[in-house]
Amino acid sequence: MITTASSITGQNRVTLRKTLVSCAVLALALLLAIVVMSLIGSEPLPARASLCALASFGTTTCGLSRDQFDILFQLRLPRILLAAAVGGSLATAGAGYQALLRNPLAEPYLLGISNGAAVGTMIALVFFGTNEWTRPLLAFTGALLATLAVYRLARGRAGATPERLILAGVIVTTFLSSVIVFVTTLMDATRIRSFTFWLLGDLSGSSKKLLPVTIAVAVVGTLALTLHARSLNLLMLGERDAFDLGVEVGRVRIVVFVVASLLVGSSVAASGSVGYVGLVVPHLARLSLGSDNRISIPAAALGGALFVIVADTVARTIIAPRELPVGAITALIGAPLFIYLLRRS
Amino acid sequence: MPQQIDRVISLAPNLTEIVFAVGAGDRLVGRTSYCDYPAEAKAVAEVGDTLHPSLERIISLKPQLVLISTASQLEVFTQQLQNQNIAVFVTDPRDLDGVFRSIEQVGQILGHDEQAKRLVQKLRDRAGAVEEAVKQKQPVRVFYQLSAEPLYTAGHNAFVTDLMRRAGAISVTADVPGAWPKYSNESALAAKPEAIILPTGGSMGTGNLTVTEALRQSPAVLEGRVYKLNDDHLVRPGPRAVDGLEEMARALHPDAFK
Amino acid sequence: MRQDLQNFSRLEVRDLTVSYDHRIAVANVSLTLKPGEVTSIIGPNGAGKSTLLRTLNGQIRPSSGAILLNGQPLERLNRRSISRQIAVVAQEAELRFPVTVLEFVLGGRFAWASNAGWGWETERDLQVANAVLRETELSELSGRLMNELSGGERQRALMARALATEAPILLLDEPTANLDLSHQAALLALVRNRCDRQQASALVVTHDINLAAQFADNILLMKEGKTVQSGRPDEVLKPQTLRDVFEIEVLVDAHPVTGGPRVTPVHDTYRRS
Repeated sequence: MITTASSITGQNRVTLRKTLVSCAVLALALLLAIVVMSLIGSEPLPARASLCALASFGTTTCGLSRDQFDILFQLRLPRILLAAAVGGSLATAGAGYQALLRNPLAEPYLLGISNGAAVGTMIALVFFGTNEWTRPLLAFTGALLATLAVYRLARGRAGATPERLILAGVIVTTFLSSVIVFVTTLMDATRIRSFTFWLLGDLSGSSKKLLPVTIAVAVVGTLALTLHARSLNLLMLGERDAFDLGVEVGRVRIVVFVVASLLVGSSVAASGSVGYVGLVVPHLARLSLGSDNRISIPAAALGGALFVIVADTVARTIIAPRELPVGAITALIGAPLFIYLLRRS
Repeated sequence: MPQQIDRVISLAPNLTEIVFAVGAGDRLVGRTSYCDYPAEAKAVAEVGDTLHPSLERIISLKPQLVLISTASQLEVFTQQLQNQNIAVFVTDPRDLDGVFRSIEQVGQILGHDEQAKRLVQKLRDRAGAVEEAVKQKQPVRVFYQLSAEPLYTAGHNAFVTDLMRRAGAISVTADVPGAWPKYSNESALAAKPEAIILPTGGSMGTGNLTVTEALRQSPAVLEGRVYKLNDDHLVRPGPRAVDGLEEMARALHPDAFK
Repeated sequence: MRQDLQNFSRLEVRDLTVSYDHRIAVANVSLTLKPGEVTSIIGPNGAGKSTLLRTLNGQIRPSSGAILLNGQPLERLNRRSISRQIAVVAQEAELRFPVTVLEFVLGGRFAWASNAGWGWETERDLQVANAVLRETELSELSGRLMNELSGGERQRALMARALATEAPILLLDEPTANLDLSHQAALLALVRNRCDRQQASALVVTHDINLAAQFADNILLMKEGKTVQSGRPDEVLKPQTLRDVFEIEVLVDAHPVTGGPRVTPVHDTYRRS
């Protein structure tokens, strides 16, 4: 009996237990990553004292100097948590789109949704610069509008086939890219430089107020999509099939679009466009755990968090004390990884 | 290079300032949209921005000479201009001495040698006075914040790094490679600068008015040593750089300038 | 297996008209699916057969007329309750993600999930799935990926999934298209079996008139959206009627084994000169 990339055989299908075990393992790995990566940075911190301080949840300094303590708890840890939230959000959104659109290549960036969120964020920065809450709000709106645009464009007689969707997505994303470039030309040199960096994915933004929101959105969004995982399993096999079998296709589609826009919007507002996460991580999750969304969506969320934490650690240490945009690292890792995955399957 | 130049175009703000400073402002027939100083410059025709000036517009203004700063990445451009028999002069001052040289060179090309030399001498005197005044002072550890979020600062190759040194300061990022590196928040915090310079008000308008979060607990902020200085005086390698030098030195060492 | 399926459901179609793309696809069609009966819809291409089928499970909105499921108008029922009563076997969409036969068939249990959208398959779900896999002779292939199967095997998996829903009304759109002779007969025998033993009812759209003649209790002959004739096979399958509808000469005789009508087209090319 040939077992291909999917490790699911007849009686080996996904069960609640399997899901819980896999997620527990990934969650543990994530926790480990958070701890380990907070020991790494452009400024060296004493490992033992740092671990001690982390274990006490910041209540004791364990011998760290004031500055070291601040670096650990005010700068590094929030950044790592933000990386986790962004990675989890983007991976979950990607998994959702791939299931709904029946296309393993569907991804927030490719579909123009990241750019929609970026334009929304830009508008917030230019017109409401001081109020931080407008950023995720307008980013969400931009993402949703981009989604609607793509969907409208792709609607043909036969419904929105995956091919037409990708094509529509490319059209929308390139259009919005030009809008972004146009606005950039109106900025002064300094703003152009910093904005371009942000666009490529930048987790160094220090807004503490938005961090809890970003984390909350990641958790709630992942839960919301996981709760529709069984419907998504059927949708993955075909809209008509899903409809016949009892899925309320229109409703699920709306849920996925809105939740995914929320996830992408909050991520982009916090950190610009971090590419490849929504493409590579869900693919890896499905390859190793099967296409059942009940396991692959939460796994993608946890895996995405891990991926971006590691990528961001590289971005902020490899040319220390300078930094690279994290999107550059995710692309450098993600692109070859994706090619390799394509070849294997 | 023709002997008598009556029509010249400048493709960088600092070069425009130099042309006017040596007294040849009436010969300027074209400038970039960023060339906003002195006020008379604004009456001159625009040919685009520093990165993508319009070749057509430049040609239609029939200049004999075009002044280019390599910082604008116009190497490809220069070939096209030379094909049109337009002389090109490229200059990219990296430090204050470089600025003085550029002023003299431009003055010479435009036939205003005497004025240029006098200007340079005055500027040298002023700069020298500043450096003399701060010579005995303890250099101040300074962080130059170009942008708060993402955090950008002045690196080894930035023009302002030289100015800071002359103004009696040590830039905590003086050894970081590059001109305008994106800097790590942690390293900024760990550097504990005694003073922070926020360039603002010039081309940067009302931006960059707040210190980045990572530095909010730095000695500079806690002691109120955050100085907002005109960014055009600090990053344009032209005559006003000496203004910037003075402003910076006075801010950092007020007691040296009684 | 439960013998009683949903209190013997009954599907009534009254004067149904469906139009889309500015064209009338189905015009004033009426039919009733009674428990235990197999009805076959035949007719030339463009007759509206598939459109009719798709309207009956709620996918297409009719322009006028009524569809009553156990006396209730279809529009009033929610998606899941419809899916528990009506199952569809149609041409399969392209599978872009790996899925095993068992997982595929388990999809049919979705409408019974207490917590649709999330939730895990129950013991009962697995029992039903394994039973229908046995019925469709796919038990050995249950662990294989769907796209490793042949066309015919996939068709049987589609059938298995529909049977797994335990719906008393089956709508089948060209279910024998990819099957070889033995499996064609086997599949329709399955349908027949369901209807006979568990009082299910089935509506089969097919191009194969003889298969329809053999297995169906009723035949609905359609052309250009309208009902040409409906009734028992021997009533409907008359040479004159078929010639008018299909515009081809046919010979109708009695099937030597079953005694029912056997339709043979008579082409000019069949004549040997």
